Amino acid sequence: MPSSLAAPVLGIVPENAEALVQRFETSPLLRAARSEALAAYFALASGRAPAGRYWKVDLDALDLSRVEVRAETTPPRIAATLSRGAIACDLATARRAHPQLLERALGTAVDARTRKFASLANAFGNTGAFVYVPAGVSVDNPIEIAYAAGEIALFPHTIVLAEAGARCTVICTLEGGAEGSFVCGIDEIVTGERASVSFASVQMLALGARSLFTRAARPGKDAHLAWAIAELGADLCASTVEIEIEQTGVDAQIAAVFCPSGDQHVDLVSSVDHRVGQARSETIVRSAATGSGQARYLGNINIAAHAQGSNASLRDDALLLSKKAHVDSVPALEIAANDVKAYHGATVGALDEEQIFYMTSRGIERDEAERMIVLGFFEPVIDRFPTRELRERIRAALQAKVG
Amino acid sequence: MSEPGLRIHDLRASVAGNDILKGIDLTVEPGKVHALMGPNGSGKSTLAFSLSGHPGYVVTGGTATLDGENLLDLLPDKRAKAGLFLSFQYPAAIPGVKVANFLYAARQAVRPGDLTPAKFRALLVEKMELLDMDPTFLGRYLNDGFSGGEKKRLEMLQLAVLAPRYAILDETDSGLDVDALRAVGESVRAMRDSDEGRATGFLIITHYPRILHHVKPDAVHVMVGGRIVKQGGADLAELIERDGYDKIREEIEAIA
Repeated sequence: MPSSLAAPVLGIVPENAEALVQRFETSPLLRAARSEALAAYFALASGRAPAGRYWKVDLDALDLSRVEVRAETTPPRIAATLSRGAIACDLATARRAHPQLLERALGTAVDARTRKFASLANAFGNTGAFVYVPAGVSVDNPIEIAYAAGEIALFPHTIVLAEAGARCTVICTLEGGAEGSFVCGIDEIVTGERASVSFASVQMLALGARSLFTRAARPGKDAHLAWAIAELGADLCASTVEIEIEQTGVDAQIAAVFCPSGDQHVDLVSSVDHRVGQARSETIVRSAATGSGQARYLGNINIAAHAQGSNASLRDDALLLSKKAHVDSVPALEIAANDVKAYHGATVGALDEEQIFYMTSRGIERDEAERMIVLGFFEPVIDRFPTRELRERIRAALQAKVG
Repeated sequence: MSEPGLRIHDLRASVAGNDILKGIDLTVEPGKVHALMGPNGSGKSTLAFSLSGHPGYVVTGGTATLDGENLLDLLPDKRAKAGLFLSFQYPAAIPGVKVANFLYAARQAVRPGDLTPAKFRALLVEKMELLDMDPTFLGRYLNDGFSGGEKKRLEMLQLAVLAPRYAILDETDSGLDVDALRAVGESVRAMRDSDEGRATGFLIITHYPRILHHVKPDAVHVMVGGRIVKQGGADLAELIERDGYDKIREEIEAIA
């Protein structure tokens, strides 16, 4: 932690912009790009609603004056069983060893020039991972990418490129950190035709940390894409996940779970953009808020005028477990086509007394009954995470929050 | 401990400010089967929920004791631990909670640590075979997407697994099919044949006497308008089956 005796932190504020980039980047070419990205961060609006009665954080005026930025970090821990040309490596290695492959995906799903926090992530990108699966190759075991936050701010960029007919499962975890830790990252998935990618993003940072993520995917024709997201740690977590459907036959799923407790704030935006028809998407969100936890969720479904035959569903259910807890939930469907199937449903409410009575009438104490009901409520989303071990970890983390 | 039995004395209860129970006296002795019959709206289910401690039912007078313990002071879970069980007519669905986990939690709650998980599993298998239930039931979410018959079987499985001292079976209006009725009958019989359930006292609440073809009651009570208006043996149920409740109503009106 910074103290009065240590050298003052060169925080992320506009007056430090030049000095920060000078210190961070030695290559003049990259310096220009980083400067541009940082300028974009300062200039862009987050697009998020301002602070209010419950939500106390202004995402357009985050105080980053004490965020310590450095180029050197520990690369993520990557565990994978690979064969037949599949690649899973840290980003620095990918830049050296597979620049052409990387180039095909990097920055193609997330347009950082228009995204405030993606710009920030690009300005100080200091870690990352690259997964590549060649055409027709199936990677059977999950590829695990584990980022550990520390005192140095982490700006991870995770990229998955799956070629035609490729299959893989990627589990990306973010853990560690402490009071004041800062993480701002990008996840990008790009696939070819008929590829199948299951990606799990699990954020379990320590309390006191802040986590900002921009996630996006561009699935190819007839591709299957499942994105499961658990935002469980950190004091402040703001993330977006976007799937752009530009090819027919796509089957895309987003499943998200979060449970702000204590003083945690969770802000999640999901967007599925049906630009062409004959594709399917499903968004399912389960959340609960307890203590003074605050959450807001915006679920966008856009169906373009010519995207006939689209099939989109959005289901979002939230539980309020304390008087001070608050969840704002806004499903937003914009449908310009007339021959589509679109469904949305959203609920926010307290626990059902009939459920509690039923369980307590069997001898189960009220607290235990509530805990079982809440954990059960998350199950439809927990079920979407790829391995039993990961599901158990998520259950344990949720149990600790609601127990 | 004073006299054994589920002893209800002058019980009065209201729902949403309306007085429903207007002084119920009823005693279910250990090992006996009592039937509580009555037309719709007579207050039978209110009695069941009041005894179980449903928060929507307010007891306004009278007493209810279970083997001497005052039930009305206890929270619902403590009533279950004291040995009371209510089979619901419309049990709540709880998505995400697996039947097996729920049953284990319930058994642990009412009889802490009396069975190892392995022995509990064996008990489940045994009781499920008895009820002709598929083992895949255990992995399903509690009552979630269950048919009426499946819900009933699960209630009966809970009865068998928890082996309470007193069981109230609320069968009031249930449009149970023949199989489900048989399941209820068989599970009550099986309870009475088991070591754990030999002394269990039953209060079977029903509108139609059909269920009593499967379980022969030791006593029948007829409830009308929040009061028990007639009591008798199994033949009283047969009388109701033949004549309906109108005859009893006429009798009461004649007295009044």
